[in-house]
Amino acid sequence: MSDYPKNEFPTDETDESNLTNLFNLLGKNQAGKNPDTIVEKTGTEEFIVNMGPQHPSTHGVCRLLLKMDGEVIVDLVPIVGYLHRALEKIAENRTYLQYIPYTDRIDYVSAMFCNHGFCMAVEKLAGIEVPERAEYIRVIMDELNRIASHLIWLGTFSLDLGAVTPFLYCFREREMIMDLIEMTCGQRITFNYMRVGGVSRDLPDQFIPKAKEFIEYFKPRVDEYEAILTENPIFLGRTKGVGILDKKTAIDYSVTGPNLRASGLKWDLRKKEPYSVYDRFDFEIPTGTKSDTWDRYIVRIQEMRQANRIVEQALDSIPEGEIKAKTKPVFKPPQGEAYVRIESTRGEMGFYVISDGSTIPYRVKLRTASFSNLAALPEMARGWKIADLVAIFASLDVIMPDVDR
Amino acid sequence: MGVDVAFKVDKDLILKVCQFAKETPELSFDLLACMTCIDYVDHMEVVYNLFSFTHRHKIAIKTSLLRDGELDSVTPAWNAANWHEREIAELFGITFKNHPDPRPILLPEDWDEGFPMRKDWEGKDFVRLPKK
Repeated sequence: MSDYPKNEFPTDETDESNLTNLFNLLGKNQAGKNPDTIVEKTGTEEFIVNMGPQHPSTHGVCRLLLKMDGEVIVDLVPIVGYLHRALEKIAENRTYLQYIPYTDRIDYVSAMFCNHGFCMAVEKLAGIEVPERAEYIRVIMDELNRIASHLIWLGTFSLDLGAVTPFLYCFREREMIMDLIEMTCGQRITFNYMRVGGVSRDLPDQFIPKAKEFIEYFKPRVDEYEAILTENPIFLGRTKGVGILDKKTAIDYSVTGPNLRASGLKWDLRKKEPYSVYDRFDFEIPTGTKSDTWDRYIVRIQEMRQANRIVEQALDSIPEGEIKAKTKPVFKPPQGEAYVRIESTRGEMGFYVISDGSTIPYRVKLRTASFSNLAALPEMARGWKIADLVAIFASLDVIMPDVDR
Repeated sequence: MGVDVAFKVDKDLILKVCQFAKETPELSFDLLACMTCIDYVDHMEVVYNLFSFTHRHKIAIKTSLLRDGELDSVTPAWNAANWHEREIAELFGITFKNHPDPRPILLPEDWDEGFPMRKDWEGKDFVRLPKK
């Protein structure tokens, strides 16, 4: 712009002669090129746009390289690893018990599941029976954590789409769950609550009445979120039919959890391969039909209701008894290996633990759901616009530390 | 949970076995649940944890190779293997033949300190915990 002499630059573009002047000026500055071809060229060339690593809609540090044709995404390359903390390497240098707090950091939004999965893998390795009360406490904590995690997702998802109110509502309810968990284990984010063979401490006396109070309070709150979003025309316009991930592609990319269920596969490890005491509770597996962003939204909304139901049943039927199986002070599981998978908030979370009979694991492999879910993003985003990419990415519920480990 | 079944497979046959496991209707292992590598110092072991949604059964396929060995990429069978193989290649130093996108994935772009997940890796601030 600065090249134009100020007094020559046409200001009134509605005047046809002025418009010709503008083209002439453009032509002059492009060293004699025909102005028409210049305009045509800028309209069709593909270009690269960098999104992130510090971008509010990527929920962490994730960089997306976009190949654009105008506003349409032609291709996309996710670049990850900014939060790589070598958690698998650290595992080979800590005792089994020392490693439990590190598992909190795999996916800090739903840390209970990481605790649970690792402890389950070690219990399988050492053949430890977990007392029934401890299993119930684990289920209650898992499901409360699932609700809290879905609330964070719902809040940030709606924030990405421009709705601020649900964000505030979600954090209001999440605060109550955090209070319940803090009451039990003293932590709000990285819980470090579960132990090999059980949990670190029993539920305090006020926990069960408070939790029951929360369950009753929470039921109508989900309707409240739905009243704001589910039938909202702007929300529908942004999500219906956007970012379709069909079942076959989802399985091919090992996408699991709510994203797979939204693609129409009725699959939930809690139901189909029950671990802990999940087989004693009555709940449903919500699925989607259209595999789009809206389906991924509604599946998670339904999951919050189901998680609430599970907590309610577990609180009613929790037995008295021990909260931790007895383990030796110097814990040495026998030689062997165990692969355990649990249904975390984001999908299947796998722990592959190999023991050489010493106090330190020989190898721990963390199979995290977000890692595989993010790999499928290019399949969903191709052909959509940047604004839709924000919605698609948010609907995947990817947590970056979970990807990078 | 069921019983864990594991097969040992020759490393040159890995792609064929994986494609057979996926495409045979009686097996139809459509989900590559997990893929990992273990360094046993004298050799490497790559483990594929497979699962079938149709039959609800699972197996682990294991294959051994030399530390700097080469292995066929199984991305033709499952696209999910793409990122897992990139991760293993960068952390353990195995080369995957015919991999569609052999870039590093987790480590910094300017990383030049070898393959950190190997058992004999020595880092600047890395202190090993004594084994008991």
